Amino acid sequence: MEKKDQDPKSKSAKTISRRGFIRGAGLSTAGSVLLTSNVLALDYKEQPAVGAAFGPGTMTIKMKVNGTTKSLRVEPRTTLASALRDHLELTGTKVVCDRGACSACTVYLDGKPVNACMMSALDVGDKEVTTIEGIAKNGELHPVQAAFIEHDASQCGYCTPGMVMSCVHLLEHNPNPNLEDVKDATRGNLCRCGTYPHVFKATLAAAKKTI
Amino acid sequence: MNKFSWYEAKSVEDALEQVNSTVSDELYQSSENATIFKSGGVDVFDWVKEGLLKPQMIVNIRNIPGLDKISYDPKKGLRIGSNVTLAEIGSDPEIKNQYLALHQAVNHAATPQLRNVSTLGGNIAQRNRCWYFRSADHNCYRKGGDRCFARHSKTGENENHAILDNGSCVSVHASSIATALMAFNANVVIVNAEGKQKTVPMDDFFVSAGEDMAMENILQAKEIITEIVLPPPSKNTKSSYIKQVARESYDWSLADVAVVMEVSGNTCKSASIVLGAAAPVPYRSVEAQQAIENKTINSENATAAAKAAMAKARPLSKNDYKVPLFVSTITQTILDIS
Amino acid sequence: MDTRKEKFPYGIPGHNLGEVEREIPVEEPPVWPINDKLKVIGKRVARIDALEKVTGKAIYTSDIKLPGMLYAKMLRSNVPHATISSIDISKAKSLPGVHAIHLIENTPKEGEENSSNKYPMVKYVGQPLGGVAAESLEIAKDAISLITVNYEEKPFVVDMERAMEINAPIVFDTPITQRQDGGDVGETHDGSKGEGNVRGPSTSSFFGGPRGNLEEGFNEADVIVERTYRTQVHTHMPLETHGVVVDWNADAMTVYASTQNTAAVRNEMASIFNLPKSKVRVICDFMGGGFGAKHSAGSFGPMAGNLAKKTGRPVWLMLDRQEEHLAEGNRPNSMQYLKIGAKKDGTLTGIQQRSHGTAGVGLGAGVGRIAQILYPCPNFATEQYDVLTNAGPGAAWRAPGNVQGAFGLEQAIDEMAEKLNVDPLSYRDRIDPSEVRKVERQRGAELFGWSRRQAPGSSKGLVKKGLGVGQSTWPRFVTLDSSVEVKIHKGGGVEIRSSVQDIGTGTKTILAQVVAEELGLQVNDIKVNIGDTFFPVGPGSGGSVVTGSITPPTRNATFEAKTVLLKLVAKKWETDSSELFMADGQVSHKTNASLKMSFKEATQLMRTSQISKIASRSDDYGGFQQPWGLAYGDLGSVQFAEVSVNTDTGFVKVDRIVAAHSCGRPLNIGQLESQINGGVIQGVSYALYENRVMDIGTGHMMNANVHQYKVPLSMEIPEIETIIVEEYSGRSSTDAYGIGEPANIATAAAIANAVYNAIGVRLYEIPITPSSILKALGKVS
Repeated sequence: MEKKDQDPKSKSAKTISRRGFIRGAGLSTAGSVLLTSNVLALDYKEQPAVGAAFGPGTMTIKMKVNGTTKSLRVEPRTTLASALRDHLELTGTKVVCDRGACSACTVYLDGKPVNACMMSALDVGDKEVTTIEGIAKNGELHPVQAAFIEHDASQCGYCTPGMVMSCVHLLEHNPNPNLEDVKDATRGNLCRCGTYPHVFKATLAAAKKTI
Repeated sequence: MNKFSWYEAKSVEDALEQVNSTVSDELYQSSENATIFKSGGVDVFDWVKEGLLKPQMIVNIRNIPGLDKISYDPKKGLRIGSNVTLAEIGSDPEIKNQYLALHQAVNHAATPQLRNVSTLGGNIAQRNRCWYFRSADHNCYRKGGDRCFARHSKTGENENHAILDNGSCVSVHASSIATALMAFNANVVIVNAEGKQKTVPMDDFFVSAGEDMAMENILQAKEIITEIVLPPPSKNTKSSYIKQVARESYDWSLADVAVVMEVSGNTCKSASIVLGAAAPVPYRSVEAQQAIENKTINSENATAAAKAAMAKARPLSKNDYKVPLFVSTITQTILDIS
Repeated sequence: MDTRKEKFPYGIPGHNLGEVEREIPVEEPPVWPINDKLKVIGKRVARIDALEKVTGKAIYTSDIKLPGMLYAKMLRSNVPHATISSIDISKAKSLPGVHAIHLIENTPKEGEENSSNKYPMVKYVGQPLGGVAAESLEIAKDAISLITVNYEEKPFVVDMERAMEINAPIVFDTPITQRQDGGDVGETHDGSKGEGNVRGPSTSSFFGGPRGNLEEGFNEADVIVERTYRTQVHTHMPLETHGVVVDWNADAMTVYASTQNTAAVRNEMASIFNLPKSKVRVICDFMGGGFGAKHSAGSFGPMAGNLAKKTGRPVWLMLDRQEEHLAEGNRPNSMQYLKIGAKKDGTLTGIQQRSHGTAGVGLGAGVGRIAQILYPCPNFATEQYDVLTNAGPGAAWRAPGNVQGAFGLEQAIDEMAEKLNVDPLSYRDRIDPSEVRKVERQRGAELFGWSRRQAPGSSKGLVKKGLGVGQSTWPRFVTLDSSVEVKIHKGGGVEIRSSVQDIGTGTKTILAQVVAEELGLQVNDIKVNIGDTFFPVGPGSGGSVVTGSITPPTRNATFEAKTVLLKLVAKKWETDSSELFMADGQVSHKTNASLKMSFKEATQLMRTSQISKIASRSDDYGGFQQPWGLAYGDLGSVQFAEVSVNTDTGFVKVDRIVAAHSCGRPLNIGQLESQINGGVIQGVSYALYENRVMDIGTGHMMNANVHQYKVPLSMEIPEIETIIVEEYSGRSSTDAYGIGEPANIATAAAIANAVYNAIGVRLYEIPITPSSILKALGKVS
């Protein structure tokens, strides 16, 4: 069934010579970069400026979250999800798969839903972050949130923040969705309890109220 | 993720000066001081989270000005900057009008959340999704190891794997968007460290496993994709795309097919037919193209083309279902043209 | 004992509702009428904790952050079978930010292999070996990557059928015992009998052992169906992983746990750390799903405890997604041989079942009791074997055993109906004596449009439609060790306390409903404080026991507190408290309309600041089938599935499910629908999508993540319609039971039967995939 026409090892000569060249070339570059980063790590920086290196240690950045600018100390490897949960105590954003495959960590970056687990806190730059905690305005629930309560659209509730983020975004851009639109908007949101039918129902009901 | 520093690149030249390696190089033979690019970061962070990639520095090319534009000119065609997100491509009305198969492929890729972050450059440069390749506990050919776990006839879990060109590595390329781009005869614009630009046809951009086990495309460490360019369609150009997935909501392809044709009435004048998830890189089926060219687009001819495409298929122990799946999908994609 | 007699509603409204007289303890409240005469019970009451969930304010264990808290990560094996020659932690120890490393030591038992080794033997990939506590999770992960474990690898086996062979590598060379805690897979199996990796068989359950004589039964039969069915291993994948935060100070050990059983975790931690139970407090307020796998402190609980002890600081230890898949439970697979015999008129004459399943290094991989009890049959025997493999241990998974068993049985019954030339639904009418399932079949068939069903394989076109049905039963289990405290505060607050937890099923809300109904208040007037072992011990959330166990004592305690309050009011009004009642937030007199007092005003009459009553679950009225709490009756369901099968590509889509269920007296319709939807969706997933993929060459799970461990998302969700059949039997003061497990049992079988109806070829193995469909259709070899 399987053909054995190509021996991968016979191709290794080409591969290694190419790699050797790259490795040699890389050394000096990396050295200079390290130096830069160490100096900058000590400085207070509002946002990573262009053409500059940061980290690998912690630095203070500013991040606009739910309308307020916050200062926090992060490393370049600190994900946006961790920055929100561990540093700003906005734990409504959940980490479930940690690979962008469940959308429980959905936040908006300048209004667009993204997975907070798959980006560095430094990726935010001057964009505004909106989390589940920022969806209700002045203590008033968004119609999607109210409909989720009315139609029992949460069971364990761990996927709920991400679901709400996906459905609110849908309604903000399509005030009159049909069932397929709701399914499309939540196609990345995993709910293991199987609450989908009530999520669909609640979102469609909320749409009627927002018109 | 390991501790890494972060370089915020200001220009292509600036970025090229900083990097010394590629994801492929590091996966094949990791070094102590790797400096690599990331744009949207979805694939790069995945590797770093798995601990398979331990960069010393990540060079962020996401905010380089000028790489985030889409432009369409009826004479020159379509230019998409490498930092354009999949969401932007998916919602572009001109792309939907002129390059339907690309529009469809993009909107079947990933999730809405991921499409808002993933860039076109990153999407075509991402590495394959073979679960052995992605596992820290399986040192396969692609990572400088001595075997392919997936192809093993008794133990290989190869249901998602390649049925064509699977003589060495049996993974399938992860980008279904690349399937559509190749069908449109897209070109990849690459800039190197000397500031030189080269334009490479998609057919030459991907590297088969037999040619080089370490890499899936020709990108070298000091090279960056700046644009993808698609030739202009004529008024007789038609395209279609179908992706078969185990899970419609969001999944990698089991079989996807892009067809771009020049038609005259209901006759195919020339065809570009590319299969995704069939081979380690997007697979142009010359056999299918030849079989349908200058023929009437009907069920019989489409099926004949589909069968021709599968003539060389050599399924593995658990993926023989892909052959009829491809026959059906190629047939349907061709018929969708008419 | 002081008792009194009362007449209870009995039967199914709209079908056979009547009355039954029961002798009940004199202190228990008077009978509730059927739901349409109640105000709060049986209605669509919004979940009382939904606001926190939709605003992101609900605090789960994984969200807890305490002052000085450290983050922990566990060290796990990455080989399937080995002895450990050494573990080098020197580099990890010196990493800045690392506070403690704890390695799990061997507890040698005489005669065991490895008994002289410092470290335990590795039996599967992902087995816990130790843990690190550090200032951040990232540092803890860095430290783990710096630890080197040197293994002496041994032959291993992860494939069940290979493990059954004579010359297979041996997983355990000694008798083993089932874990009594989190290893509970819902069935107790004996690991001391058997040969090689095959242990057992288990031949009896609490419904008894073999019946009659199989040989005679099959001799009497005119028709025989004899098949082997296979089901896959699947993991629980709750969105919140297993984990704890341990805060151990001089006074007490506080354990925040993502658990289905606070009391069990408390008991385990007290026992492991030799603490009195009074000094271990387990708290679970919000919990992100369990589905059966979260009844124990596992290895992560003691690990966090040890790290907290070593560092003197609170320790956060939540597993990551991969660890969750590898080590924290799965539903064992099954290979079930089933032979059933029937006479020409359909009467069943014999059922023989023989199953093998692997729960990895654990036991309890049976196929449940469904073949034993769903259809009466005079001759029955089962042999259920456990096969040990080098894989993570199984755990209870929503209706343990029975989901596997139903997949086999309900297909065999379908096949029998066809051989007898009877409609599969009519055939069940003939052989199933259950009144509630009869009603479910009738109402379900009408809503579903069962009459549309065509002959198998007769659907035209490329995409073929099929209709199928499956039935299930689940016992009514009651945990007698279920207690609550109800407090009425002076000035008006009402509070309920118990260690019982709400795992997302809505327990908090139904408790508030019961109290509100009894006191004539609104649900929002009731504060529910549960999930805390400093309160009276409640049941674990498993086996669908919670509603049936905790709502009767809740009502009883409320009634007792109410009685005290009414006596105070009666004294003031110089009347008898039996003349008073509470409704609409007021205390009123039955005959003197001028006597009215608000609830709040009434509480001002209290001389103490609170009335507090604790009640525990009393025996069912009329007793139990088994004194430990196996109640009479069952939780029956009938599910109907409509599927489309693309015969060209092999893709199957479930278009629609009608799920008809019973759970005694329904308490909250919205929440019941939610749970039924969830059970159905998990059943769809089991039938078509999810599957633990093990590489048998290396012993690793290849899809231990979310993206390749495929479960349905929005586009895969069928249209689901639920029918909830009220069924009264007068067994307790609420007469209510759970729905968790029943919702999940019949779905896969109904889908498999529908697929058969669509294509005319039967599939005996799940998950059903394009590959298996195309094979069944002869399109690939």
